[in-house]
Amino acid sequence: MPFPSTGADDAFDYLFKIILIGDSNVGKTCVVHRFKTGQYNEKQQNTIGVDFTVRSMDIDGKKVKIQVWDTAGQERFRTITQSYYRSAHGAILAYDLTRRSTFESIPHWIHEIEKYGAANLVMMLIGNKSDSLDKRQVLFEDACTLAEKHGLLAVLETSAKEAQNIEEVFTLMAKELIARNTLQLHGENPPNSFSLDSRPVIASPSVEKTQCSC
Amino acid sequence: MDVCRVDPYGFERPEDFDYASYEAFFSRYLVVLTRRAIKWSKLLKGNNSIQKSLKVKRYIRKGIPNEHRALVWMIVSGAQTNMEQNPGYYHRLLEGEKNAKLLEAIKTDMNRTFPDNVKFRKTADPCLQHALYNVLVAYGHHNKAVGYCQGMNFIAGYLILITKNEEESFWLLDALIGRILPDYYSPAMLGLKTDQEVLGELVKMKVPAVAELMERHGVMWTLVVSRWFICLFIDILPVEGGKKAISNGALQAL
Repeated sequence: MPFPSTGADDAFDYLFKIILIGDSNVGKTCVVHRFKTGQYNEKQQNTIGVDFTVRSMDIDGKKVKIQVWDTAGQERFRTITQSYYRSAHGAILAYDLTRRSTFESIPHWIHEIEKYGAANLVMMLIGNKSDSLDKRQVLFEDACTLAEKHGLLAVLETSAKEAQNIEEVFTLMAKELIARNTLQLHGENPPNSFSLDSRPVIASPSVEKTQCSC
Repeated sequence: MDVCRVDPYGFERPEDFDYASYEAFFSRYLVVLTRRAIKWSKLLKGNNSIQKSLKVKRYIRKGIPNEHRALVWMIVSGAQTNMEQNPGYYHRLLEGEKNAKLLEAIKTDMNRTFPDNVKFRKTADPCLQHALYNVLVAYGHHNKAVGYCQGMNFIAGYLILITKNEEESFWLLDALIGRILPDYYSPAMLGLKTDQEVLGELVKMKVPAVAELMERHGVMWTLVVSRWFICLFIDILPVEGGKKAISNGALQAL
């Protein structure tokens, strides 16, 4: 069963729910598949509704359990996937860097998250299919500009096919969520805790720059 | 051993497929299938018409023999009647003006429909992707409120595998999507959502332990059943199960 078990051998320090969204056929399921199995699936079917994957990572000595909610990209499935936004800690927004239109949809996806997700949800942008750079239609700089404008954590160009930056995406997301978690714990006592609705304050611009310049 | 790596419908068998127990099962099952086929031949008696009756219902629930499946689906679902009353309609749809956005959405899923089926490979000859494309394009222009919804590619693909006929697949698709499962695939997906709620209530009544488990973990039924319902159990159950699910659906229309 894909549900978190409470067994002792299954203990973890953190459990993060991450939703993966973006237009149809940008490679969301292949990204998850690579993350989960380390393999690339040439014969991937289109996702219907929502799929669920879990993997544990060791991050700075902490056992982090990551639940990835992989969603169908077609617009009408949003009526189903929206109900998963609320409980997500992070969102990975994916576009296909060889198809401009999938990048142009990103603001719509951000809007969806802002509308249905928790206020302090961490958003990250990935441009998949970096193995096909000769067909590039989206400049990395454009993606960085968009990310900065919306206060996203980072942008990474990935290739599920050639295993580029896939681990990095989830590691970065997990590290940020751990950092915020710690912040929130410490910020519990003082009044006017800024942790719940303060994406720009916590999202460190330095992280963003590191990722954008790579 | 003469069991092929690919099943009769073109689906590759999984690597861990247990050929020995499949053979053992099938040699026993063959007796049942033969008996069933004789009964069906008597029922149809060469006149290709089926009247609604408890007997027909029972027969369908048990399973329609391969050689009669396409015909029985066509008759029972009303697709046959619609096809006969609208000669040439399917081909006119294909020749008519097209919505570019719809074509794009359908094209996106061509290589993602049954990638484990050799008949849907780009390199197959004939390649069923062409038939699939035509059926979906025609349907999207026929039922504009629905257009194309992901999941329909699996249903249409499956109908093509069973009927081996584009036009019949189109009319069967129309029977399923237009009449038997209204509002499953339209943008609001209300029919689908309703049925998911109904399932949740049924589980609560019939197997409260399961309902409680789902609730305790905060799992919504959509997570589990969206794919089942949208794809009519195709690709969820083994091929045999998918056929029964559709037969039972078609039965509702009789």
